[in-house]
Amino acid sequence: MLNLITKFSAEAGGPAVHITPAELFQINGIPITNSMVYGWISSLVIIILLISIVRKMGIKPSKGLAQFIEIGSDFITNQMTSSLGSRKKALYYAPYFVTFFFFIMLSNWLGLLPGVGEALKIGENPIFRPFTADLNGTLAAATIIMIFVQFFAIKESGLIKHISHYFNGSLKNPLTIFLGIFEMFSELIRVFSLALRLFLNVTIGEVIISVFSYLGSVVAPLTSLPFVLLELAVGALQAYIFVMLSMTYLSVAIKHGAEHEAHDHDVEEATA
Amino acid sequence: MLTLFAEAATLDLTVLAKGIMMGFGMLGPAIGIGMIGAAFMNAVGRNPESSKSLGQILVIIGIIELMALLVFASLFIIK
Repeated sequence: MLNLITKFSAEAGGPAVHITPAELFQINGIPITNSMVYGWISSLVIIILLISIVRKMGIKPSKGLAQFIEIGSDFITNQMTSSLGSRKKALYYAPYFVTFFFFIMLSNWLGLLPGVGEALKIGENPIFRPFTADLNGTLAAATIIMIFVQFFAIKESGLIKHISHYFNGSLKNPLTIFLGIFEMFSELIRVFSLALRLFLNVTIGEVIISVFSYLGSVVAPLTSLPFVLLELAVGALQAYIFVMLSMTYLSVAIKHGAEHEAHDHDVEEATA
Repeated sequence: MLTLFAEAATLDLTVLAKGIMMGFGMLGPAIGIGMIGAAFMNAVGRNPESSKSLGQILVIIGIIELMALLVFASLFIIK
């Protein structure tokens, strides 16, 4: 038995670790990677799933998967209400953030299905790789959500006022200008920190699952199971963190322009 | 003595580098998350109402965790 185990682990030659996605084929010189392929598949699955669920929803409480979607969107909307300060604003911005939440969470979870990762291979490269385990994918998501944030901030308070909120204090002071430019630069840093956080969490999860199924050799499903379950929690938590952070950025960006409106909203809510 | 030096000359320094990087790199985030946990438990002990801010705690842990994950990802860059 021991012989068998050593033989198995000797054959594998160390755990298969991939940090970057691998190129599968090219279309007109554009490389198509395994992350892109699985990203298309998972977004198709997510679109079909969500559309079929939305058709079932009504005023009556729903059952099964629809309930799960309702709980998720209600949870995010409530978080936005407490972060933005008014229910009306939260409902206005909720569709974008709820979409991001479900897309990231479901792509994380679809990446944990059997067959995704190192299981199926063409030559050296795995066919499927989770979409969020690719820095390009998460960078695109983070860029889009930060463009949303900047767009809504400019829409709420106007371009001049939005730019001027980076420069607090008199413009004659060189420190104000320096700090303002630093603040603007930190908006750019946020894109990378959002993208890196999601990418590294999912990729390191893949690596850890791969390492522990290598250590288990014959009983690989048993040894990697706890880490798959951990990754289920991490996938949901990272989607929540991604949405919460971008929500905080949005609330900071639009709050300064909407201070005089906040009073009106309070009156509306009190009378409603 | 000579054989010892001969072995030392062929010592794989990348393993040493990985060990040092992993140890010191994980030290900071571990201390940081520990401090967050201590502060949170302290706050809950003083005021049980504050236990509902667990969501914010998780977000801050997520921010710190990025540093640890950067260290872990750099392990695969050292060859």
